[in-house]
Parts: sequence; structure tokens; C-alpha cells
Amino acid sequence: MKAMQARVRKLLEENKIDGFIGLKMEHGHPAPFMFSRENLGEMETLVVGDVRYPLNKALLKVSGQYPDLTFGVMVRGCDERGITELLKWNQLHRDRVIPVGVACSSELAQLCECYKPYPSDWVVGEKTEGIAKSKRLQKIEGMNQKERLSYWLNQFNKCIKCYGCRDVCPMCFCEVCSLEDRNFILTGKLPPENPTFHLSRAVHMVGRCIDCGLCEEACPSNIPVRTLYKKINEIVKEYFDYRTGESSEGKSPLNLLGEVTLELSDVNK
Amino acid sequence: MAKEAQSVPGFEPKIIAFLCNWCSYGGADLAGVSRLQYPANTRTIRVMCTATISPHHILKAFQKGADGVLVAGCHIGDCHYIKGNYMTIKRVAVLKELLRFTGFQEERLYLDWISSAEGVRFAEVIRNFTQKVKEMGPSHLRTTY
Ligand code: SF4
Ligand code: SF4
Ligand code: FES
Repeated sequence: MKAMQARVRKLLEENKIDGFIGLKMEHGHPAPFMFSRENLGEMETLVVGDVRYPLNKALLKVSGQYPDLTFGVMVRGCDERGITELLKWNQLHRDRVIPVGVACSSELAQLCECYKPYPSDWVVGEKTEGIAKSKRLQKIEGMNQKERLSYWLNQFNKCIKCYGCRDVCPMCFCEVCSLEDRNFILTGKLPPENPTFHLSRAVHMVGRCIDCGLCEEACPSNIPVRTLYKKINEIVKEYFDYRTGESSEGKSPLNLLGEVTLELSDVNK
Repeated sequence: MAKEAQSVPGFEPKIIAFLCNWCSYGGADLAGVSRLQYPANTRTIRVMCTATISPHHILKAFQKGADGVLVAGCHIGDCHYIKGNYMTIKRVAVLKELLRFTGFQEERLYLDWISSAEGVRFAEVIRNFTQKVKEMGPSHLRTTY
């Protein structure tokens, strides 16, 4: 915590950044806050903790409004993947963002089943091993087709279409959302079309989801949407050898035509 | 809510066929003018290129009760927009895996390349796919919405 405070203070004092998006302890709760040269006195209240918040989403908003300013932002492994991907999707400017890293605790890494629970560089925490294969995925893959169907139909039927999963997602930046297209998703009906609503969101997460898990935390109906997107990430890796947010090379496979690496026999298995 | 998938006697599946204008629709046309016989279970939707078919359209077709969805376009290298079908195969691959994971029977979605000279093959593809979907029985989603 102290190390993070010192780093942020230094970045601000040396004019490397104009503001830092981090968490501030307020009324006993960590909440997002913009630390700046004007409020250096608040630095003591900067916290890290195991709480998570879509800080990148706040970053997208302010950097869009102040394109000439440079912002620092607290990043965990997932948030750093997010920045990498947002740069590729042209949502941020490379020289306008300075991430300050946090390595996640092993408890958090286990909970998330995160494959890389640390960013490339960090000032707080210690590196812990990532989890290679998600147990949540294994559980569902172990079911037969009928079990999988009734599992997901029941889960999706709990949806109250609050859009919380989308609104919290740091990788959802489109101005027009297909999930609000009236020709596509019926309005005035709950649950939303099952499975079209959920599978469409899943398809949209190809090359975008950085597995932060915020969607699932936000969902008031406890739908395991993160598991669905974990599957998307696995599909993207298996079919296109692409790991979302891992490298600044390449682009999301559904974002460019690219070359053909698949055959019909890979598809119609 | 989930209806049992089983072969129902006398069941006639509803199949939506998305055909690209330049190749597969031509193939269908050729099959027609050649008076080739094939089952009449498909409703064709002609699109300019298979790349204009979003996973949304496919999902919506299933949601509206299609028992099967066929996507057919030009062979790789023959797409009239050069690389449109490069995107199609990627999208269908992802969607099929996702349908498999969620138990929605990915076999109900089928991708093929059929050129405008392949009238005989067009009829064959329709015959085979219709037969397959018939054996699978009505889609689970028929009753959902
Ligand atoms: S885990 Fe959920 S909130 Fe996070 S990037 Fe993926 S879809 Fe968005
Ligand atoms: S947060 Fe949960 S209930 Fe709300 S729209 Fe997303 S999946 Fe549905
Ligand atoms: S024009 Fe036929 S697939 Fe593109």
C-alpha cells in the first residue's frame, strides 16, 4: 500500500501523469478516486486490497474527455490485459496511460482461476502461480449434452436483463449495443430471449474478455456468466492461438479477416 | 421446458438456409433448373456474402424455432468479396463450440461451401442435412419462445 502511494506520488510530482485512477478508502469502503496534484493530501487514503473495481472503465471515460492528459491507473493482471487489448481496439493512447501494477493474492487467484494473476510489473504483492485449467469449465464439460442444456437454460432463465454484466464490463465500449437492438432482442419480456441474449454477449467477448470476473460479481441473479466467457477465451486460444490481452501483437480473430487457418472439417466436427 | 430431442414420426424439420448470392444461391438455382429432387424443408435467405451473416442471425433463427441452420457460401478463394468467407468460417467455428458447451446441439448448425456449378452437390447437401436434422428431432428451442 505504502509502495503504491509512494509510486503514485512520485509520478504526480514528476509530472509523468496528470491523474491517477485508484481506490480510496471512504467511509470504510474502497471506492474509485482520481488522485491528482491538487489532492496530494489524500494520498494516505489510497488503498489496494482484494476488492476490485472496473477502473479501466473509468479510465476510458476520462481519457476520452481529456485526450491530452496522461493518466495512471492501478492494474492487476486482468486489468493489464484489458489495457493491452483496449490499445489494440484503439480505445486508449499508448503514451497517455501509465499502469501501476498489483500482483494478486493466491486466494484471489484461486477464486478467479486466473491464468496470470499478476501484471508485467508490480509495486504491491507477490507473484503467485496462475491456474492453467478452470475447474468451473471442467465441471460443465464433464456433463452430457442434456445436462449442459438444462443447466444453462435454467441459469439464463434467471436473467432479469438489467444489463449489469455489460455495464460493468471494462471491455464493453461500443456506443450501440446489439443487446438493445429491438429487432434482435425482444423488449418487454423476461427473461430475455434464451439463449440468444447470453450467447450473443458471449460471441461479442471473443478477443475482448480479459477474465476479470466483474460481470459475474455484478449479476444480481448469480448467473455464472464468467464461466461462459472463460469458455470463449478457451475457444479463441484453441482455434486461433490467440490469448486475449496477452501480447500487443496481433488482433482479435473476429476483428480482422486475416488468413484462413481452419478447414470445414475443423468446424463441422 | 427443454423438449426431449428424439426422432418423432412424421416430423418435418424447419431449416433456414443462408445462401450467398454469388455461389451457393447459384448452386440452388442450378439444382432447380436441372429439376433435381431434394426435400422441401429449407427456407432460403439469400445474402450478398456469407460474411454478412452475424452469429446474431443464426441465433435468432434458432430462437424463432428453426430446427437446423445451414450456412453456405463460395469455396475459400472464390468469395466475390475476396475474404468474406474467411470471417464466416471463424464465426461459425466459435458459435458451434459455444453451442456445444451450452448443450444446444451444435450439429443443428452446418457450414458448407457450394459453388454455382455444384447443383448436384447442393441437392445432396440439403438432402443429407435435412435427414440429419430429421433424425435429431425438433429443436429444444421450438417451445421456448
Ligand atoms: S470477465 Fe466479464 S466483465 Fe470482465 S472482461 Fe470478461 S465479460 Fe467483461
Ligand atoms: S447482470 Fe445478470 S441478470 Fe443482469 S443482464 Fe447480465 S446476466 Fe442478466
Ligand atoms: S460472396 Fe459467397 S461467400 Fe462471400
